Amino acid sequence: MTSIIRTLIVLTICAAVSAASAAQDGFPDGTEISLLQWSHFVPTYDEWFDAYTREWGAANNVSVTVDHVNFTELPTSLAAEIDAGQGHTIIELPSSPASLVQGLHDLSDINSQADALFGERRHHCKAVTYLPSVGVYYGFAAGYALNHGNYDIELWAAAGYPEGPKTYEDLLAGGRAIFEATGIPVGIGISPEIDSEIANREVIWSFGGSVQDESGNAVFNSPATVAAVKYLAQLQNQAMTAEVFGWTGASNNQALVAGAASFILNPDSAYRSLQKVDRPAAANIGFTPALVGPAGAFGGTHAFISVIPAYVEGSQLQAAKKFLLDLAANYSEITYHSELFNLPCFPGTVTELDSWLDDDPFGSSPADKFAVLKTAIDRSVNFGFPGFSNPAIAQVYAEHIIPKVIAQVALGEATAEDAVALAGERIEEIFAHWRSLGLVGSGG
Amino acid sequence: MSLRLPAFPFDNRRVVGALFLAPALLYILLIVGFPFLLAIAFGFSDVTVGNTDLNFVGFRNFEAVWDNAIFRQVFETTIRFTLISQVFILLFANILAIIFTQDFTGKWFARFIFILPWATPVSLAMIGWLWMLDTKYSPIDYLLLQTGFLGPGGILSKDRNLFWLASPDLAQISVIFVQVWRMTPLATVILMAGLSSIPTDILDQAEVDGSRFMRTLLLIKLPLILPIMVIALLFSMITMFGDMTVVYVLTRGGPVDYTRVLGLYSFQVGIEGGNLAQGAAISLFAFPLLLAMAIFMLRTASRAEVR
Repeated sequence: MTSIIRTLIVLTICAAVSAASAAQDGFPDGTEISLLQWSHFVPTYDEWFDAYTREWGAANNVSVTVDHVNFTELPTSLAAEIDAGQGHTIIELPSSPASLVQGLHDLSDINSQADALFGERRHHCKAVTYLPSVGVYYGFAAGYALNHGNYDIELWAAAGYPEGPKTYEDLLAGGRAIFEATGIPVGIGISPEIDSEIANREVIWSFGGSVQDESGNAVFNSPATVAAVKYLAQLQNQAMTAEVFGWTGASNNQALVAGAASFILNPDSAYRSLQKVDRPAAANIGFTPALVGPAGAFGGTHAFISVIPAYVEGSQLQAAKKFLLDLAANYSEITYHSELFNLPCFPGTVTELDSWLDDDPFGSSPADKFAVLKTAIDRSVNFGFPGFSNPAIAQVYAEHIIPKVIAQVALGEATAEDAVALAGERIEEIFAHWRSLGLVGSGG
Repeated sequence: MSLRLPAFPFDNRRVVGALFLAPALLYILLIVGFPFLLAIAFGFSDVTVGNTDLNFVGFRNFEAVWDNAIFRQVFETTIRFTLISQVFILLFANILAIIFTQDFTGKWFARFIFILPWATPVSLAMIGWLWMLDTKYSPIDYLLLQTGFLGPGGILSKDRNLFWLASPDLAQISVIFVQVWRMTPLATVILMAGLSSIPTDILDQAEVDGSRFMRTLLLIKLPLILPIMVIALLFSMITMFGDMTVVYVLTRGGPVDYTRVLGLYSFQVGIEGGNLAQGAAISLFAFPLLLAMAIFMLRTASRAEVR
């Protein structure tokens, strides 16, 4: 055992020395890496990022190119590039590509180095990059965006909640009162798209339900899930319009900017959009951490997961790994240039975070509007919570089973018990399939 | 004395025929045949997007797909959407083909405008429709609101929006409408070709015999173009049965599962969900149905052909 530990320490030191040496000497002439990532919600972030990659490339003797695409295109692009055996060196995704693990490099080495270099890591960042059933880090996440409540201060104050809703009971009672008085609904999507999927899961988690348990067993069909589904159906019937069944990735932004929702669940991008076009209206938006339900408070996250496809080799692979570690070390810049949208997986990399949250450098009114996110960060969990993200979780998402169940009940087409039971059967089939391939389980 | 030229391969009709057919055959083999065979291989394996090793698993994927309640509903939705759309496509294509084969001022411009939906890349056109049918900013809703059909006291709804893509009924109607909008021009062009090919002496004879418009249409024109109408219908049905772009852009299958069709579900399971084997199996379920439909319709067309 001692010799294994000693070997591991030596290997880690060798890897660190090798990385440091590469940094000092630069990579061999002709080394090129290409990045594929999403077009950021903050346009100036992409400008900063592209300039950063050029500077990094010049400092390391690496030619770096960056392609930005819509985030919905990234999973299919990655799948196509893996199958083609060629494409970008690093692909950054906003959702876990666990089902592609066999086509990706094991990044255990840089994950270990990051732990050693940057200290504590948020568990939800590990949970979307590590597949316990095969013991592989298929990705590296240095940052994430955090879902939190965005509420209209005036409307909620008039309804008797000057600090916005704090619990799901508040959301239902206050949201209903506001809707009846003003016609302005709550805006939580129940539609086949990512924002709805995360928001719906937040409610389910807070009621004690989940798609899987810590060990990767399908547990969707439970009284807690039924209670959460009933709650969401009631919320839709009493405080929302049919619009939520057609919610899209742009709907949160649209609703907040148009003043057409009293409450949405979203990272700060929707608020920042409003801040750019109407500062007084933005000042009327307050933030809440994940709302409290019968089983606690859990906020969803969109982790930014970088992967390196298996076709990447040699100096290109080494350069890609160094690029990712250097980027994590510079996460303070990323958080700043993303206007606090990107939060660090390694809190030690952004020591200024608390001061920025207490005094928003981008002119929020009041200046400490973001301070509440400190609580929100502590409530953040990953998409497959309480287990690790895995291919079964990815397929449950791809089939949009959860918003379908809630919509069925909200539309009165099925009872919550029946809809959850039927969905539970499908989820169990999906888990059984991926377990038979050895890609689900052992997460406890 | 006749001059006998040396034998030349291109003099042989069989050789020339084969040469002319070769590019089309090659195209079909590469673009259709190879992916089709690959899909069959995937359907009988446990392949995933991340691991394309083909391990044979027999009919396991097909059994799993058939046992899946979502798949059965999706299959039924696909058939329903296809059949309803074809009724409207056939009706509108016939009317438009008759109009466009008449002489009137601006006919060529009208034909040009009309063909645009078919000529426009489908994804681009769907983004346009996504905006037209937006749940909050739909220009259609705006017009209805301004004319008093929507909003307080409105005849259609008290809301300011109809929620085209969020209401189960309207979402289905929207998808069918957009498919009809997209596919009608192709069917019309095919029918126009059919109408133009009717020998004028038959129509002249009918006119001399005193046949009026409806009589000529129902008893002469439509029976004569029936074979080509069947071909237009076949093209349209096969295209629509396998299409996923319209619903992928407009609704992603929602609300609930009301607009989820086979092509989309296959993509969601196989590509987005990473379960390539089951995704392939889902898409292959369409094959026997489409094959039977194609054989039936081609036979019908052949029987209806005037010899």
